[in-house]
Amino acid sequence: MLTTLAALAGLALAQQTDTTVPVRAGARLEVNNFGGEIAVKTWSKSAVRIAASHSSRDRITVDASDQLVRVKSESRRGPSQVVDYEITVPAAMALALSGVYTDISVDGSQGEITAETVQGAVKVSGGAGNVSLKSVQGDVTLEKARGRIDLSSVNETIKASQISGDVSAETVNGDISLVQIESANVEANTVNGDIVYDGTIKDGGRYRFSTHDGDLRVSVPEKSNVSISVSTFDGDFSACYPVQLVGPKTKHRFSFTIGSGSARLELESFNGDIRLCRPGQLAKDRNEDKDHDQDHDQDQEEE
Amino acid sequence: MSDTWTNRLSEYLDGDLPDKERAALEAHLPSCADCRATLEQLRRVVARAQALDDRPPAADLWPAIARHVGVVSLNARRARRRVSFTVPQLAAAAVALTLLSAGSAWLLERRQPAQRAAQSNTTPSPILTNAGTYEANPRYAAAVADLERVLAQGRSRLDTATVRVIEKNLGIIDRAIRDAQSALAADPANSYLNLHLAQEMRRKLELLRQAAVLAGART
Repeated sequence: MLTTLAALAGLALAQQTDTTVPVRAGARLEVNNFGGEIAVKTWSKSAVRIAASHSSRDRITVDASDQLVRVKSESRRGPSQVVDYEITVPAAMALALSGVYTDISVDGSQGEITAETVQGAVKVSGGAGNVSLKSVQGDVTLEKARGRIDLSSVNETIKASQISGDVSAETVNGDISLVQIESANVEANTVNGDIVYDGTIKDGGRYRFSTHDGDLRVSVPEKSNVSISVSTFDGDFSACYPVQLVGPKTKHRFSFTIGSGSARLELESFNGDIRLCRPGQLAKDRNEDKDHDQDHDQDQEEE
Repeated sequence: MSDTWTNRLSEYLDGDLPDKERAALEAHLPSCADCRATLEQLRRVVARAQALDDRPPAADLWPAIARHVGVVSLNARRARRRVSFTVPQLAAAAVALTLLSAGSAWLLERRQPAQRAAQSNTTPSPILTNAGTYEANPRYAAAVADLERVLAQGRSRLDTATVRVIEKNLGIIDRAIRDAQSALAADPANSYLNLHLAQEMRRKLELLRQAAVLAGART
């Protein structure tokens, strides 16, 4: 679809729009783009610069007030087709970015971010406060954010790294990777995919990881204070270090405690395996798996 | 889950436990992982209820749920409680609350006034049964069917690739639901399986709702 849109847009004359509007502290940016790209970066000026590449049939409108800068595009025949925005904003500016056939990227933000698209990737570096990133058919990637993080996809993977704050990640058909997470409240679930969590287990924290068809790999320091419950239907559990099971247990459901047990960690995989390791060891395992996969691929090629 | 405190957690959360019992329960919690887990699930359900869509539904369905929970799970001795959950009921409540937020209010809003009036004159059917029979539950099935109908009507407005992805992912969720139901048939008291089934059914409603919203949007 994007290719078709791009081809159609190419038939019209390419045009550039480049405008800068002053903004006050606390203002918010709203951008809606049906197809194309929204790329946001930051600067130290109290202004928003909007540069857009688009068809000559399309018109970019910028409505700016003290509190809100709203950017949208229109065509003489209705919705515009493909517009590529490159927008520069003050770092603390709140962002609300949305599209349909749209890739969204943000770099260097220190403000709240909402980004939603249907067919396209969302890739954000930075963000503070409420950070909500959603795509139906695209990877969702976030790094270096702090605050209340909400990540959602349907058919692709979710990756988050160097995050501090509450984290919620949900997809249906994709893996979830949460690495270098500093949080007392993390929830991640997928139906068909693996989940990796490599981050803190804080006293009194709540952590829940759940998949139907996939493996869980979670890092837990040996010196943490956490009650861990493990539930599977048809999977196995393993740990990189000895654990002492407590209470009633079956092959697929049991609990154990490390330290005082003040944090709560729930690990659930209906059909997959669950593995617990020390921090950092998961990365090592992943690299070994990658090497193993490459070896395996090479073996297959040789065969 | 047969702990004597399990059925008092709802009262605890409501602040209805007498001081002495509250203190005893708080002393018990650190040593009981099951109670802590159940309490956490209960908190999530309450949090989800508090986070419900703020559009006013045409009919407030919660009293019917509460009444039904009361009929099923409360005896006379516990009649003064607001709501008390067993784990399967808790799982059912999670789905029911999602049903309310993701389906019913949205659907009710879209119905014609005449249909609303007709509905208001009917006796609400129970939502909560137990986790293994959600799909047989008329209200859940109706919400799914309604959302599927909306999606079918708006299908032509969706990109074919998006339709394929939604159908594929609904299939993945349906398979997970069937897996959980089969497992529950063999182990109906399994709290993990109950909650897992509830989670997958909630997810199906949410994906259907998301797809229906997309179908109604400019795509």
